[in-house]
Amino acid sequence: MSELKHLKSQWEAVMSCMGCGDCGYAIRPAVDRYLTCPVKEAKGGEGFEIYFSRGRMNVLKSLLLGQIPLSKELADFVYQCSECGNCTEVCHMSQNEYIVLNTSKWIDHVKVWEALRQDLIEAGFAPLDKHGKLIDYMNDVSMRNPYGEEEANKFAWISEFPEIKEEGDLILFGGCTMPLRQVDTLKSMMKIFKAAGREIAMSKNEWCCGSIALRIGDQNSLIDIIKHNVEIFKEMGAQTIFTACAGCYRTWKKDYPELLGEELPFKVKHITEILTEMLNNNEIPFKPVEGSETVTWHDPCHLGRHMNLYEIPRDAILKIPGLKFKEMKRNRNNSWCCGAGGGVKSEFPDLALDISTERIKEAIDTGAQILTTSCPFCIGNFSDAYKEMEPKDQEKINIIDIIDLIAGKI
Amino acid sequence: MSEVYQKLEKIVEGKHISKDLYVRHAYSRNVDLVLQGVPDIVIRPKDAQEVSEIMKIANEENIPVTPRGGGDCEFGGSKPIGNGGIVLDTKRMNKVINLDQDNLIVTVEAGISWGKLNDFLCNFGLYTGCMGPGSGMTAAVGGGISHHSVGGGGCAKYGACTNQLVSLEVVLPTGDIINTGSQANKYSKYPFNRFGNGPDLAGLFCGDNGIFGVKTQVSLQVFPKPPYAAYKTFQLPRKEREVSAKIMTEIRQKGIEVYDLMFLMDLIVRLGCQEGMFPFWENLKKKRGVIFYTIEANSEVELDEKVKQLDEIMVNNKTEELGQEIQDGNIAKWHYAEQGHWQFYHNLWGIYPSMQPLTAECFSPIGLYPNVLNDIDQWDMEHNEDMQKIFNITKIRPIAGSGPVLLIDGNNVEITCGFTSFWNYYNGEVHDIIEETNLMLWKSLLERVTKHGCQWYMMGDYMSRLMVDIGAYSEEYYNLMKSIKQVLDPKMILSRGKFNFWGEK
Amino acid sequence: MTELYQKLEKIVSKNYISDSIYVRHAYSRVVDPVLQGVPDIVIRPKDAQEISEILQVANEENIAVIPRGGGDCEFGGSKPIENSGIVLDLKRMDNVVNLDQDNLIVTVEAGISWGKLNDYLCNFGLYTGCLGPGSGLTASVGGGISHQSVGGGGCAKYGSCTNQLVSLEVVLPTGQIIETGSQANKHSKFPFNRFGNGPDFASIFCGDNGIFGVKTQISLQVFPKPPFASYKTFLMPRKSEEVSAKIFTEMRLKGIDVYDSMYFMDLLVRVGTEKGIFPLWDNLKRKRGIMFYTVEANSDKELDGKVNQLDKIFEKNKSEELGSEIADGNIGKWHYEDQGHWLIAHNLWGLIPGFTALDAECHTPISTYPGILKDVDLWDVEHANEMEQILEIAGMRPITGSGPIILIGDHNVELTTGFTSFESYIDGEHYEIIEELNIKLWKSLLERITKHGVTWYMLGDILSRLLVEIGAFQPEYLQFLTLVKKTLDPRFILSKGKFNFWGDT
Repeated sequence: MSELKHLKSQWEAVMSCMGCGDCGYAIRPAVDRYLTCPVKEAKGGEGFEIYFSRGRMNVLKSLLLGQIPLSKELADFVYQCSECGNCTEVCHMSQNEYIVLNTSKWIDHVKVWEALRQDLIEAGFAPLDKHGKLIDYMNDVSMRNPYGEEEANKFAWISEFPEIKEEGDLILFGGCTMPLRQVDTLKSMMKIFKAAGREIAMSKNEWCCGSIALRIGDQNSLIDIIKHNVEIFKEMGAQTIFTACAGCYRTWKKDYPELLGEELPFKVKHITEILTEMLNNNEIPFKPVEGSETVTWHDPCHLGRHMNLYEIPRDAILKIPGLKFKEMKRNRNNSWCCGAGGGVKSEFPDLALDISTERIKEAIDTGAQILTTSCPFCIGNFSDAYKEMEPKDQEKINIIDIIDLIAGKI
Repeated sequence: MSEVYQKLEKIVEGKHISKDLYVRHAYSRNVDLVLQGVPDIVIRPKDAQEVSEIMKIANEENIPVTPRGGGDCEFGGSKPIGNGGIVLDTKRMNKVINLDQDNLIVTVEAGISWGKLNDFLCNFGLYTGCMGPGSGMTAAVGGGISHHSVGGGGCAKYGACTNQLVSLEVVLPTGDIINTGSQANKYSKYPFNRFGNGPDLAGLFCGDNGIFGVKTQVSLQVFPKPPYAAYKTFQLPRKEREVSAKIMTEIRQKGIEVYDLMFLMDLIVRLGCQEGMFPFWENLKKKRGVIFYTIEANSEVELDEKVKQLDEIMVNNKTEELGQEIQDGNIAKWHYAEQGHWQFYHNLWGIYPSMQPLTAECFSPIGLYPNVLNDIDQWDMEHNEDMQKIFNITKIRPIAGSGPVLLIDGNNVEITCGFTSFWNYYNGEVHDIIEETNLMLWKSLLERVTKHGCQWYMMGDYMSRLMVDIGAYSEEYYNLMKSIKQVLDPKMILSRGKFNFWGEK
Repeated sequence: MTELYQKLEKIVSKNYISDSIYVRHAYSRVVDPVLQGVPDIVIRPKDAQEISEILQVANEENIAVIPRGGGDCEFGGSKPIENSGIVLDLKRMDNVVNLDQDNLIVTVEAGISWGKLNDYLCNFGLYTGCLGPGSGLTASVGGGISHQSVGGGGCAKYGSCTNQLVSLEVVLPTGQIIETGSQANKHSKFPFNRFGNGPDFASIFCGDNGIFGVKTQISLQVFPKPPFASYKTFLMPRKSEEVSAKIFTEMRLKGIDVYDSMYFMDLLVRVGTEKGIFPLWDNLKRKRGIMFYTVEANSDKELDGKVNQLDKIFEKNKSEELGSEIADGNIGKWHYEDQGHWLIAHNLWGLIPGFTALDAECHTPISTYPGILKDVDLWDVEHANEMEQILEIAGMRPITGSGPIILIGDHNVELTTGFTSFESYIDGEHYEIIEELNIKLWKSLLERITKHGVTWYMLGDILSRLLVEIGAFQPEYLQFLTLVKKTLDPRFILSKGKFNFWGDT
């Protein structure tokens, strides 16, 4: 039997789960809570309790008590979780700051799942096939991205923008997904910066942030990556680094200091923070607009629940001319996941699409014509689900990154 | 087992059944830290017909079946007793089937949660009155009926949720499907009345803890939610246990139909403030017990009148009103306006890591609870040595005490007492002594409370057997229960072992 | 027979047993003109112990036992179905055993009448909420529980009297004595709660029409009688059946807790004023349907608030308020203030000499009674031939119609419909043809109404068997009922023949 080293470090969390099950079923209309676990819901009739937190916690109790072993079979269950953190919200939230639930003091579900994933990896039952490849690519010196593309491809787009500097106090961390899968949005971003007269710098020496490995539970090469990335930005004179990717943002801002054991020597921001600053200062010269469209905002888990960045993107949207804003039924900390996170998209693409479809329907229900967000994984997964939807539903809504939404109005 | 599995698989299709080790362990526990039973098979049927077929096979093969709704039993009721058998996960049956808006009756599948049902009803300005148990975001309507549940709001006014029952569709242990109340008359087109057409056989399944039948459809009376409500929280003076009981009695004797009324003992307020649970009470000068009420009305003038009557009682008993807002300490507002009632557990649970409930939830007359609580303090002292054994390992002593004491209908309260202890797995090691002590102390406490004459409603594995083991039932009563069990379930398939109904192996 | 008699005599002593032919005939009928069963023995036990012994003897001897409370069953329930057996007259057991003033629970012997109990309670400002059946001056509390009775006031607010049940002492058909609810726990010192300690066994004796056990002690929740009440009576506009149903529904949808509300159909008002039953309505210009409500409150203003809401509904539905005094037509006042509720039987009964009830009392959803009443009219027309035959002999045609329609719990009404016919003995002669026609027509009407899907609560002799004969019970349900009966009463001693439970003869 494996040592369960990482899981044991989370024993207090596991043993503090009372098994109430709200992480699977919670509906509480008075506080806009409508269900919790996207995976369990997407599983429908197959939604055995192992597919949401309480059942998993029960399994972990049995593991810690030495009743059952780690196995590949277990890994297949465990990785069917987008680590969206919605279970944590219900488990912790009295929904009122003046009443605190005890569980909030001991249980951080995503940390527990990641500890288990680390143990599964160390015991050789994970990574699962596709996850293994992603990590190999990420560590491959000729790639440094999980998509298996040559490293140079990540930086090809920069050639169109000679104004990007090699040094400066505001530095973009480009990441992998944006340049390799959603490069037009980066170009839109440059259009905004140019129109606003902002200057940024970027390095062609950045490596994948390592998020994918962290979420999968493989920390083997992480410290090297972190040190490398931090070092190059320090050398470039960074005061602030920013990213247009919610995953990179969470990794940089939350995981890096934790794993390093020290604060980073610069600020880390998400693109929506930069955009909101610019909008507040009226830096962006919008063209005059006619009519108005209704837009709704999807909170990416890595921005919202993981990082508590709820209001800034909303502030941004409210400042964009010609838009009316409408919330989805489930928003902010109650927001429904897009289904892509935690490695679900790569290993269990159908599950990811089912979850995503549910979220798009929720957006359509608001009557909005535009669903916007700011995360390339959400955008990618939404787009894939959108392609499979009926044309009559497709007509009702467009899915667009907030950067493209703004750039389109300049 | 694989032959049984194949037979069952034919009933529900492959994806709704599992014998996977991990799935089975996911279903092996409820809300307590000592009882476990790992089933052989977990199955998720979609309707009464499938449940019926499953029951028939279980009878052929003599395999126990344990129904499970939300899985929120605090006495190990919705998992097998001992390893083995089939867990019937009814959560797939979670739809609203019909809302009869003329007659204010809703019919649902039994696996629906109280939260989901009330979310549906609020679109029509309706609610279920008694909002189910405190775990109502998860707990199933079927489970509520199986336990006479109270606690999730409204039970001072509406009583236990079984009061609202109109009709049941039940699969009997041998697989027959019956409908009760008005539906016993096969010409009745829709459920409208529980009482009639002969004996109230629905009652057999109310509070049966799942031993007499599997509820598959439930029709409940629903009510227009009154447009006006007031909720106030008060700090109690000295002798809070007696004073709170006096207040509850006076309200009943005045016949004021409070919607909810609860007393939280000083221990909870004190520890809760100390451990950061109740920021809104941190400014209280004295950390004494707290009491709150909620009252509803159809008009402002009625509401004012009722509030006046209630406040008079509160003032006469020297309580001090806290401010109106939640931040002022008005927990009643959170409870009613934010549906906190569904998250209102014993507040000592989880107060320290891995500290969990060994509960003793029961009904008691109002006048009795001060004594019961005092005796639990006494019990705690008497068992100091055993507590110490746990303390030696965990460095924190288990806590005996009571969560909120709720006024329910009749002139009763629900006492959510118990003792809160630690898992046998502590900091990397399994401590058998903790488990032994836990079980021993739990049993001892339950027996003690039983001897006060309290009434158990959620009995599950542990409590139902303990009642029999300590001879708390009269022989005639137990024989009646047993003879009905035998005739309905000759092989004792359903929820085998509860109330020590084991059948032959 | 004498040996049996001697055995029984030993149990109760000779003053309390009789086999006199006159005594036996005194107990041979209930409230209808056609059903008779002369018992062999009438016995008046004093407590559960004696009843237990009587039942043990009856089991040994395989002789039927028929419990009888007030003897007000309208379907021949409290007399033997055939000419034999023992009638157990429970009226000797009519004491109040205990009033728990703290917990507002009264414990009585089952033979006490609702009137006597409420006379006792009013000394303490209390009442039973639902005041039992309309015959509550006589009808016993045990009988009320055995039939889920409503009608004697308060049932719109409190529902049927079984809603208030806390605990029962019951003698099972084989002689065991059990106590239910909180009393199932031997350690409980007094009854306080119905629900818990496992399944709600009390329920199977509720509405059992005396087939599962003999109730000997009953604990009921009682309530402080609110100090303020208002009662108003209204003349309905055209289409009074539909309008009254609409008013009932609107009160329910608004959630106003009316204490009572009743509707008298046009026919009753017309015939009633013609025949001098209702002098209070003589001056009405139009003899249309009448409706009244009673509502209670804890304060003046609260009462006003409720009255406003109710009056708005009546006004909107174009009903005309009558004056406030009984003399002005306010039957609501007589009903509540003069306790007329215990005299409010079907007003067609006894309209002329020898004119008595062949009844069809049932519960039905509010919205269905206009349809049922129309169909009852239609039924009457369809059976004109038979009616004529009776007319030729009696000189008057039987009348089909409905007595007061009463709002009860669960958004239902009690429909006191039926047809009123003649005794077979008219002016010195006995007409068998009338008896035959009466039975035939009664069965036909009951079947007709059953097919509207109503719920029967008082089933007695004729209706309980009719339901079985016409296959109205869902087969699985009847099987289930039979199983429970067999388990409790293997020789089918108790209330032999009801539901066609005959046993071996």
